[in-house]
Amino acid sequence: MAEMEYNVPTERWPAHPETATQEGKNKFVGFWTFLAGETALFASLFATYLALKDSVPSDDHMLASELFHLPLAFVMTMLLLTSSLTSVYAIYHMRNNNFQKMQLWLGITVLLGAGFLALEIYEFIEYYGYGHTFRSSAFGSAFYFLIGTHGFHVIVGLIWAVLLILRNAKRGLSVYTAAKVNTFALYWHFIDVVWVFIFTIVYLLGVL
Amino acid sequence: MAELNQEHMTKAQKEYLRKERTREMRQQLVSFGLMIFLTFIAFGLAALEVIPAQFTIPIVIGFAFIQVILQFYYFMHMKDRGHQFAKLFMLTGFYFALAFIVAFIYIVWIGAPVN
Repeated sequence: MAEMEYNVPTERWPAHPETATQEGKNKFVGFWTFLAGETALFASLFATYLALKDSVPSDDHMLASELFHLPLAFVMTMLLLTSSLTSVYAIYHMRNNNFQKMQLWLGITVLLGAGFLALEIYEFIEYYGYGHTFRSSAFGSAFYFLIGTHGFHVIVGLIWAVLLILRNAKRGLSVYTAAKVNTFALYWHFIDVVWVFIFTIVYLLGVL
Repeated sequence: MAELNQEHMTKAQKEYLRKERTREMRQQLVSFGLMIFLTFIAFGLAALEVIPAQFTIPIVIGFAFIQVILQFYYFMHMKDRGHQFAKLFMLTGFYFALAFIVAFIYIVWIGAPVN
């Protein structure tokens, strides 16, 4: 079992377990590169949204200022921001070699993320009822593609976290699994970074 | 393998590491508090419209950038050593982000009705 070699006894647990192995170092650099690529992806979606905002074919389509309600966006922001903090806690316990608490905080992160996703689905259904759909206008397409791509990233993150929790439940924490958890945490923070720009540029500037 | 050659830490080293981590957690909690605070202010400015929109827009965008910097530096540990590569790549990413947005809004025909 290759994995067994990575099981470091507590007294030799390194200060930075996530980059203690060559694989961990590679993951770290590779994932930051991936995040830079994701930045470019979301940038093109933001640019499309900003260019096509309020581009509707006729007067009976709703514009951004009539469509968005801030309380819902505010609750979603709080959920995602808090889930970012809970994944920080997970990394804190990972570095202290506390497996149970790491799993617990990862679980809380998943719950908060699921709450965010539920609200986003609710929001989409409500907008659909207003006649604001993916195909109703250029504004609609740009809106759903931007928010939907972010929502898709949240879904991927949730599945990733659940798989990590389940897969690591038996094999515990090692310098091998620590790198995996750290990569997920970076991804989850990045989702929050994108959301910060979404709530500012789409929702806050939308209602002004 | 590197992980097997990991040296035993002395008691003093362990104690130092523990203190460093507590200090880092405090920094992260402070930055979380700041993020929540900035979010409140940004939503408040947009909802109540206490100041004209042309002032609100740059302020809330500025708040977003502060939040993102806190997120990168404290939550994603970019302030730690060994993140030069990450910084270079993210800066490149943001450079392209800005270029895309400027291009789509001001240069390309997209968004402007074709008459």
